[in-house]
Amino acid sequence: MPANPQTPATGRTKTDWMGEAMQKRIARRYAAERRFKWMGLGAVALSSLFLAFLLVVMVGNGAKGFISTEATLTVDLPAATGSISPEQLTQPRLAATMASIDVRRIFDNAVQAQYGEDGARFFASTAWTALRDQLTENPNLVMSKTKVWLPTSSDIDRAAKDNSTPEAEADYATLRKAGEVRQTFNWRFLTGSDGTDPAQVGIWGALKGSLITMVVTLFLAFPVGVLAAVYLEEYASKNWLTDLIEVSINNLAAVPSIIFGLLGLAVFLQFFSMPRSAAIVGGLTLALMTMPVIVIAARNAIKAVPPSIREAAMGVGASPVQVVFHHVLPLAIPGIMTGTIIGMARALGETAPLLMIGMRAFTTTPPDGLTDPATVLPVQIFLWSDEVNRGFVEKTSAAIIVLLVFLLTMNAIAVYLRNRFETRW
Amino acid sequence: MLDNTATSSTNPKMSARDVKVFYGDKQAIKGVSIDIDMDNVVAFIGPSGCGKSTFLRTLNRMNDTIPIARVEGDITLDGENIYSSKMDVVQLRARVGMVFQKPNPFPKSIYDNVAYGARIHGLAPNKAELDQIVENSLVRAGLWNEVKDRLSDSGTALSGGQQQRLCIARAIAVDPEVILMDEPCSALDPIATAKIEELIHELRGRYAIVIVTHNMQQAARVSQKTAFFHLGTMVEYGDTSDIFTNPREERTRDYITGRYG
Ligand SMILES: Nc1ncnc2c1ncn2[C@@H]1O[C@H](COP(=O)(O)OP(=O)(O)O)[C@@H](O)[C@H]1O
Ligand SMILES: [Mg+2]
Repeated sequence: MPANPQTPATGRTKTDWMGEAMQKRIARRYAAERRFKWMGLGAVALSSLFLAFLLVVMVGNGAKGFISTEATLTVDLPAATGSISPEQLTQPRLAATMASIDVRRIFDNAVQAQYGEDGARFFASTAWTALRDQLTENPNLVMSKTKVWLPTSSDIDRAAKDNSTPEAEADYATLRKAGEVRQTFNWRFLTGSDGTDPAQVGIWGALKGSLITMVVTLFLAFPVGVLAAVYLEEYASKNWLTDLIEVSINNLAAVPSIIFGLLGLAVFLQFFSMPRSAAIVGGLTLALMTMPVIVIAARNAIKAVPPSIREAAMGVGASPVQVVFHHVLPLAIPGIMTGTIIGMARALGETAPLLMIGMRAFTTTPPDGLTDPATVLPVQIFLWSDEVNRGFVEKTSAAIIVLLVFLLTMNAIAVYLRNRFETRW
Repeated sequence: MLDNTATSSTNPKMSARDVKVFYGDKQAIKGVSIDIDMDNVVAFIGPSGCGKSTFLRTLNRMNDTIPIARVEGDITLDGENIYSSKMDVVQLRARVGMVFQKPNPFPKSIYDNVAYGARIHGLAPNKAELDQIVENSLVRAGLWNEVKDRLSDSGTALSGGQQQRLCIARAIAVDPEVILMDEPCSALDPIATAKIEELIHELRGRYAIVIVTHNMQQAARVSQKTAFFHLGTMVEYGDTSDIFTNPREERTRDYITGRYG
């Protein structure tokens, strides 16, 4: 301790850096740091918990949607079709031979023989087409008595997976007495489209609808959004008109999506008479919704490019277009892509505006082009969740898993591209 | 016309007559006339905020990029008015190159930094000639030996002094007629500064060079002519040796003797 704590110059008491009050202050500061660290950790833990919960519940419920139940059916084809010679199964005559076989009747007879008068109710209504497909694939089955695996009805499917109604459980017991039951991966769910029988529906139709819609959205919203942002940032003079445009775009980004649906309905369907339920209209509508998000993100990314780079380029005689395309955009592209990911992810999950333009088409075949009636994943999920048939519950969860996988894939690609474009300074 | 508007050169590369610059309502340059020729490096000195950068940027119309800036008066390059509607501003900036206060290489490779200007102006018909331009420019900027083995490294990975020489190489590669430098050494250490000053000596004669500096020793070392700016006017313009040893104006003397600035 200095003898004279008073410094003559300022008349101020000399700061006691080692004193008790100072130590207390240091302790308080450490406590505050610790508190903040724990609060941050808590926030991260809470959000991770929610995410984990969501994933566990979704995968738990949805996993069953990817499994289908099959039962055996013994078909004595030679007896049913009369004698078919091996030559009849060779190429020129094969088609005629197959056409002559009444698979439906053979199926009905075999079911009755094995499972009794009412046995058909154990099988899916389209089970006979599965038999036909197997025959087409392997015509030699016709020559012998064989055992084939065919999809069961959705009641049996549910009874096989969990507890179900007493009647279904009873049916399931009967079925197991007369034949075998197995569970296999449900390829049909990934390759098929919507239907009325939950055991037979697939997600491919909706997935393809989403894909086409997203492509339309991206190809419209991205270039138009980026060009608008470049124009507003680099070319437009600052006046009341550009201010008005800026405010409008910011507001547009906040407009509830269903209003874009009404806009799409009024403009594309009623004014331009475009086809209802078509992916092109869905894509256009979602593009309207996504564009402002991209414009805002792109403007911010462009603003963040250091002015010194623009000056450097202009200083060697780059034209305004060259400044933008050689320097500003390459540096802004990672930021633009972040905004695009957010906008596209939002568009992918959108239901309401697409319902407004009729993209809830019940189609049992996937859309083949821009104008075919189509539906998209979230709308499909919405429709299935509304079905009375209990078998749709697990299909709904399975469809959600597909939607999440789609979303994650899309984001992963975008993040990969963004990192590739990232400039290291 | 004032007697200190050195309009003596017989055949100036650039000449300015009664140039006024306004930022909105505020006048930053109040009627400056000056001639710049090929043989002499011209230094602009003066206290901060007196308008050196502003005036320098009128010479290649960089002020066009500031919406509120307005330029009056005549500036000619080889007798041609650079503010006339016939003048192509993009080509003007290629002919009147610029080096900025803070080194600002593009976040691209060293090669691409130097090649950029030559590429956009179509100065090299093929890769071999472009390579030649890049090498020549780097040699003339005194950077070749330091970077010849890593031309594909990023220009931003160089040291500050190397970055500034890269920026000079980038300006040279376009083969300009005039090079404007705005305090090119203010962000550099003394060794890097010495290298740039040496470089300016070597570039003299081939290009008309104007350098802004607030370092009077630097002005004395690199320039043959010096213009002293104060509060938006050019107070005195003459041979560097005269300005520093025998200034005509009171304000110049005060400034170079360090009474203010
Ligand atoms: N972009 C600008 N907008 C408004 N005023 C400016 C701008 N640039 C410079 N000025 C003003 O012009 C005057 C001269 O500035 P400048 O040319 O940068 O001076 P110097 O380079 O000599 O330090 C200063 O008063 C400055 O505030
Ligand atoms: Mg300056």
